[in-house]
Amino acid sequence: MRYFLSASLAAILFASSLAQAESGTALKNDTLRKEPYNDAKTSGQLKRGDKVDIVRKQGAWLQVKSAKTSGWVRLLSVRRAASTGNQAAGVLSVASGRAGTGQVVATTGVRGLTEDELKQAQFSEPETKLLESYSVSAADGAQYAKAGGLKPIKLGYLPKPVATQGENP
Amino acid sequence: MKKTAWACLFASLLSLPPQAMAFDLGGALKDAVEKNAGDLINDKNSNDADATQAKPEGNSLANINWKSPSKEDEIKLGREIAGNLLGAAPLVKNPALQQYVNRVGRWVASQSERSDLPWHFGVIDSDDINAFAAPGGYVLITKGLYKRLHNEAELAGVLGHEIAHIVQKHQLKVLQKQQLLSLGAGLLSGKVAKGNLAIEKVIGSGAEISARSLDKDAEYEADRMGLILAARAGYDPYGLPEVLSDLADISSNDGSIALLFKTHPAPGERLSALAEATSNTAISLPEGKAVKNRFYKLEDK
Repeated sequence: MRYFLSASLAAILFASSLAQAESGTALKNDTLRKEPYNDAKTSGQLKRGDKVDIVRKQGAWLQVKSAKTSGWVRLLSVRRAASTGNQAAGVLSVASGRAGTGQVVATTGVRGLTEDELKQAQFSEPETKLLESYSVSAADGAQYAKAGGLKPIKLGYLPKPVATQGENP
Repeated sequence: MKKTAWACLFASLLSLPPQAMAFDLGGALKDAVEKNAGDLINDKNSNDADATQAKPEGNSLANINWKSPSKEDEIKLGREIAGNLLGAAPLVKNPALQQYVNRVGRWVASQSERSDLPWHFGVIDSDDINAFAAPGGYVLITKGLYKRLHNEAELAGVLGHEIAHIVQKHQLKVLQKQQLLSLGAGLLSGKVAKGNLAIEKVIGSGAEISARSLDKDAEYEADRMGLILAARAGYDPYGLPEVLSDLADISSNDGSIALLFKTHPAPGERLSALAEATSNTAISLPEGKAVKNRFYKLEDK
């Protein structure tokens, strides 16, 4: 019942965005390129707030189309409206029963942890012990990573951007 | 008894000027932090993780050295806070899930400058969408947030953000500041006789400290670091941005995310900040792996 309500409400609220598979909004001014590389030829410009349709994702790049232009843009320059994306994500959502409406959460009806609840919480020694019992060693972590084909790489932290506000070249 | 202590503490806090209202959850804490602890929160180089020497200190919780807490102090505090949070929302009783999250989390934490901490990760039984870090290596993520994840790289990104808070001692610095303010209040009002407040009073009823607003800069910093920690571990660096993008779609009226929204900058702003941080420099982020096949799926019941 609740699910039905959620679903229909979400359908009404988001009918427009559901009509197209995936859309997004430019988070910043950025250059569109003909190929998903930094040094690829320019194919257009996106302005912050521009609406785009997302064709596909490749690595750190999104292929997008807008009314005026199209091309590849850095993934982080566009915020996707349909959260589940065009990858296996959508399939996973279907499999886990959260299918159909990317935004169904708008009506989860979960009240959520409140500050009051947290304030009143009492320390739980058994739960803390249980938490600690699940810990693994660094070696175990590394072994599991290796089993998953993960290779550690050296990489410096990202410096804090000088200008905090969005518009830049 | 405990009540009385609380009353005293609040009374003494109330007698302070607004910027010292450290127990206020909203802007006041932030103000206090910004005005009085700017030096503590924004160290000269925000990316250096200072090595904490472990020095043997008494086991009593009241014996925390607030001027420069030892690693043991940090862990003691964090354990208390995590235990309180677990009192509000216990662990999901699923050992396979918990073990999975610990393996992934431990690997990401090993890429940080504080690999030496005893890292603990847990999924707590709450439909709320949130994740918490407590000093000393305690990281908890709600079932509600976990269920929204699609692959291991996204999990690594979320855990990376929390790990970064611990590496940078963001909460610890707020607690230190608070403790100093409380001490000051006590001295001024004469209501707290002894110098060292019991730990329960400092962290309050504990769990909510982990959800308290940090400085916005601390959140942005944790995003930047979390992304890199996941990338260092070999994951697709865009896991965290994917999660933020997903969270940005949730209505701010939704109770399940109210606390997260209240205590963090909006996901859209966090994405913008990450976009800024990753595009301004000549940094080229590695592709990394999403690792979908072994991602532990938590089924809806």
